[in-house]
Amino acid sequence: MGIKHKLLLGFGFFILVYFAGGSFTLRELHIITKKLRLVERANEIENLFLDSRRLEKNYLLFHNPEHFEELDRHVRMLRVNIDTMADEIAREIGAEKMGGLKRNLREYQTLLQLIAENHAGQLELTGQLAGAGDAIEAALPSEALQDFLALRGAEKNLLLRQDVEAYEAFTATHRGIRARLPWEAERYAAFAERLHRLYVGGDRMVASLRQVARDIESSTKTLASREQENIERALRTQRRLLYLLLAVTTLIGATASLRLSSSIATPIRELERITKKLARKDFSEVISPRGNDEIASLGHSFNEMAQQLKDTLVSLELAIDNLHGKQEALVEAEKLASLGRVTAGVAHEINNPLAIINEKAGLMRDIIELSPSFPEAERFQRLIDGITANVVRCRNITHRLLGAARRTDVVRAPFRLADAIRDVSEFLEKEMLFKGIEYAVSSPENLPPVTSDREQVVQVLLNIVKNAIDAVERGGRISVSAAERENGTQTLTVRDNGPGIPPERIRNVFEPFHTTKDRGKGTGLGLFVSYAIMKKLGGSISVWSEVDKGTTFVIEVPGAGPQGSQS
Amino acid sequence: MNESRVLVVDDEVDFASTLAERLQLRGYRAEAVFSPEDAVAVIKERPFDILLLDLKMPGMSGIDLLRVARGLLPDVEVILLTGHLDLEAVLEQVPEEHFDYILKPIDIKVLLEKVERARARRTGG
Repeated sequence: MGIKHKLLLGFGFFILVYFAGGSFTLRELHIITKKLRLVERANEIENLFLDSRRLEKNYLLFHNPEHFEELDRHVRMLRVNIDTMADEIAREIGAEKMGGLKRNLREYQTLLQLIAENHAGQLELTGQLAGAGDAIEAALPSEALQDFLALRGAEKNLLLRQDVEAYEAFTATHRGIRARLPWEAERYAAFAERLHRLYVGGDRMVASLRQVARDIESSTKTLASREQENIERALRTQRRLLYLLLAVTTLIGATASLRLSSSIATPIRELERITKKLARKDFSEVISPRGNDEIASLGHSFNEMAQQLKDTLVSLELAIDNLHGKQEALVEAEKLASLGRVTAGVAHEINNPLAIINEKAGLMRDIIELSPSFPEAERFQRLIDGITANVVRCRNITHRLLGAARRTDVVRAPFRLADAIRDVSEFLEKEMLFKGIEYAVSSPENLPPVTSDREQVVQVLLNIVKNAIDAVERGGRISVSAAERENGTQTLTVRDNGPGIPPERIRNVFEPFHTTKDRGKGTGLGLFVSYAIMKKLGGSISVWSEVDKGTTFVIEVPGAGPQGSQS
Repeated sequence: MNESRVLVVDDEVDFASTLAERLQLRGYRAEAVFSPEDAVAVIKERPFDILLLDLKMPGMSGIDLLRVARGLLPDVEVILLTGHLDLEAVLEQVPEEHFDYILKPIDIKVLLEKVERARARRTGG
């Protein structure tokens, strides 16, 4: 997954979570608002009814018609209120209780009406009772009046107390004086009885009213508290939900951002670290890309680049080494070539005076030999012998030097390196046998012939094997082998186990007059001449040596292949 | 003993005169000249049996002198004197001419052998 996708996914996830949480919270807030309105309504209903109870109490105490009117209005408002939110109430307290509430309200209203009517009846009867009493009192003779006044006292007591005890006291008093009272008193008593019944009925109705009122009150209270509870519950749920949302988003957000940032930053830090190593030419580490995002692909490209850089660096170093090697070889070859030219020139210039010395000395000898009585002839002849011997020595040197530099044509013909080895072996075998040198030759059977100058190759090989013979002690080992390299070039290798050449001198072995042999034993020209010959033939000679282990010369003979190389 | 007429031609005066003297001591009628021009003049004046010619001389090389001398004395024997070993190149230059050669510094015994062989060829042929 790419970084872009990761980021999009990360942010997308949060947007989604916040959108979901936010819209849920909004919806809940909306519901809570609605519920709050319900709570308000429920509280309104409760308050309305509490107010109604206050009015009811006042009315029952004073029977003020205004109170009744107001109470009636309150109750009607209550019923309207309840009807408008009937569904909600039914949901909260149940359809049954809702029906009960409505019934109770209706009954409450009816009871109020009845109580009002009862009260009106009481007032009317009280008036009639008082009127009848007054009429009887006015018409009654004074002897009976005393008794009747006692009954009026009982009447007042009944009107005041309006209970059964007061009525029984009234009827008892009436029974006691009944015989002495006129017939109008029976009607008066009947009024009192009806009044008493109205009192009893009124009390029952008031009791019923109170009962119904209590029921209603409890219902409205229940409703209000239910709504309150609902709100609180909803708020609690909402709070819990928000906490949960917060916790979840915090947790997931922290984890996601940690993982995302580490998935981006870790490989970049790795990249930085390895880049620094790379800058110090340390290629020991590569990036191990994980996943398949942009950074992983960057890592792959980086590794590729590092590999290319390494390859380039290695090939550059190789090229530089190669160049150094070639430069050294070129310098060496040029040095040897100019040395060759110089030595050839010197040799040529020396050769003529040498010839003159030779002739003068020869003439001296001639003169001495021809004079029969030359004094100390023998002594002079010895001296002249010394001169001519050294002339011969010089001549050998100059001839070899001139031979190395001569522009003779190369005579190329196919021959096998094994034949060259055989030529040299035949020439030197006796000497090696005499010195007790262990001598081994080898050449592969199937080595094809080379096209070169056999005589000159033999001369070079002879020089080198002779050097080896001089180098090894008695009982030493010398091996000569022919071989073919992968590129087809054929080589002759001469290996000895002599004392070897120290590293500081190995560079000079091909220079003229450079010799490790005892004075007078060698001219110091063998390797110089051999080198010059191989150069002329288009080949080369190289040398490896280790002190106390021995020396190896490799002669690279050109001209391998069907027609030989052109050089 | 023998009357062979030998002419030594070399620009190295000491070499030519000394060699001529040594040959004289051995009975040859030897002379020395020191330039190719003098050599030609002398050859025109009188005949020689054997010429000893230096290969490298100023003005004219031994080879050129050989040709000129052969023009004057067709049967003259020639021994080239050279400090070089690259006689193969010389041989290629004059395939029609026959001559002998000896390397400088010379071994008098070898030279005398060659001179004697040359004299024998002349008297015999």
